[in-house]
Amino acid sequence: MNDLVNLSNGLAAAVRQAGRSVFGVRARPRLPSTGVHWRPGLVVTADHTVRTDDDIVLVGPDGRNVSATIAGRDPTIDIAVLRVDAADVPLAEVGDSSGVQVGHIVLAIGDGPRASWGVVSAMDAEGSSSGGSLFDLDLTLYPGFSGGPLVDVQGRVIGINTSGASRDRHLAIPAAVVNRLLEGLQRRGHIPRPYLGVSTQSVRLPEAMRQQLHLEQVSAVIVVAVQPGSPAAEGGLVIGDVIVSLGGASITDPMELRRVLRPEKVGETIVASVIRGGEARDLRVVVGERPPRS
Amino acid sequence: MSDLRQLAECLRRVTAEVADPGVSLGSGVLWPPGHVVTNAHVVRGSHAGVRLVDGRRLEGRVIARDVATDLALLRVSGSGIPAATIAGPGTAHVGALVVAVGHPLGVRGALTVGIIHAIGPQQIGGRSWIQADVSLARGNSGGPLADASGHVVGLNTMVAGTLALAIPMSDVAQFVRAAGVGLP
Repeated sequence: MNDLVNLSNGLAAAVRQAGRSVFGVRARPRLPSTGVHWRPGLVVTADHTVRTDDDIVLVGPDGRNVSATIAGRDPTIDIAVLRVDAADVPLAEVGDSSGVQVGHIVLAIGDGPRASWGVVSAMDAEGSSSGGSLFDLDLTLYPGFSGGPLVDVQGRVIGINTSGASRDRHLAIPAAVVNRLLEGLQRRGHIPRPYLGVSTQSVRLPEAMRQQLHLEQVSAVIVVAVQPGSPAAEGGLVIGDVIVSLGGASITDPMELRRVLRPEKVGETIVASVIRGGEARDLRVVVGERPPRS
Repeated sequence: MSDLRQLAECLRRVTAEVADPGVSLGSGVLWPPGHVVTNAHVVRGSHAGVRLVDGRRLEGRVIARDVATDLALLRVSGSGIPAATIAGPGTAHVGALVVAVGHPLGVRGALTVGIIHAIGPQQIGGRSWIQADVSLARGNSGGPLADASGHVVGLNTMVAGTLALAIPMSDVAQFVRAAGVGLP
């Protein structure tokens, strides 16, 4: 009947609902960021906004300050998880991010609450190797919005916003990717840092080789160093090997290698497809865990 | 309102073009009846030209102007001048749809759509604004920011980065009352 008014009321209700689970995060100088109460006692925010290991203060929706500690962080996908005693702050209703499509209306919410709206403008295929395409957003992430929820028109959280990659690029990490990270965190008690023990550089694959090996990708990474005793060394990788894929995901540059090595892969055996001496071979590598920084 | 076209038409009827010769071209809201409220930075002199959407040109006499709040009130006379409907206090919510109508960069009656980003001061201790996630430009000043029903919630006044800052209509009403003009 009154479509615009209904839409307007729906958007405001979505902000109100999601805003109940939103924290202000004070973990860097000057500009606070935003966080979401995702699971009991666990607040998710953007990793790049957490610049200190201690003295982290969260400001609840009621304006009350609570101190928090770092439960785990995954800089590759720009997610940090904070531990906090906040039983009185409701949990966010986390939605199914797999149904999100380009063109869907979404809202970004910052501490306050403050809000902006727009649409999902693209699914970033690059991020698909990290377990879910990132959402490219056609909306404004205002200062302090990083780490806050991306919500659908029903107020369900479908991602975590970040402008960490570039101030002009507004992205969201899908809720499914965050869920997977949190499941691992709760199972292991920490977020491990995956480790192979190789240094690599990008290489262009010669046309003849691509045809011979039926490869679509134009580049891969070449191993320039292997740490003795590392998972890569144990798995048989040697200097000069050209890694074309890892765990089924094609590797076109060293960044991709890091993206594929998700924390939840630690302890898993994955197949590294390499070219050695012009021939393809598959090596089995057990993904290791980098010891914590001392 | 069921569509934006209808909403835009309804707002254009109550949005005036306010021209202070040699100073600026801005917008204004036809409210309260027989008056145009706009920004003080849009009108500097004692009179300004007021153009209605039907093309009629009227002479506006500035009867109140306050630089501190950036508000000005003009009196216009003529028959059948429409008047805006003002949203009730407390009806603006973060996330709600808003539209702005004005004459940005001289484009007559341009519509822009967004949502309320926040309500409150931009800085601690500052004045309270309706902060909207809509894109404004020069020429929008003094024009209406309205809700999805076409009721005016604020007077577009300036931009901060990409945010539009509008003076809440409750503040505008206070200014109008102080000028000795009765409200409908």
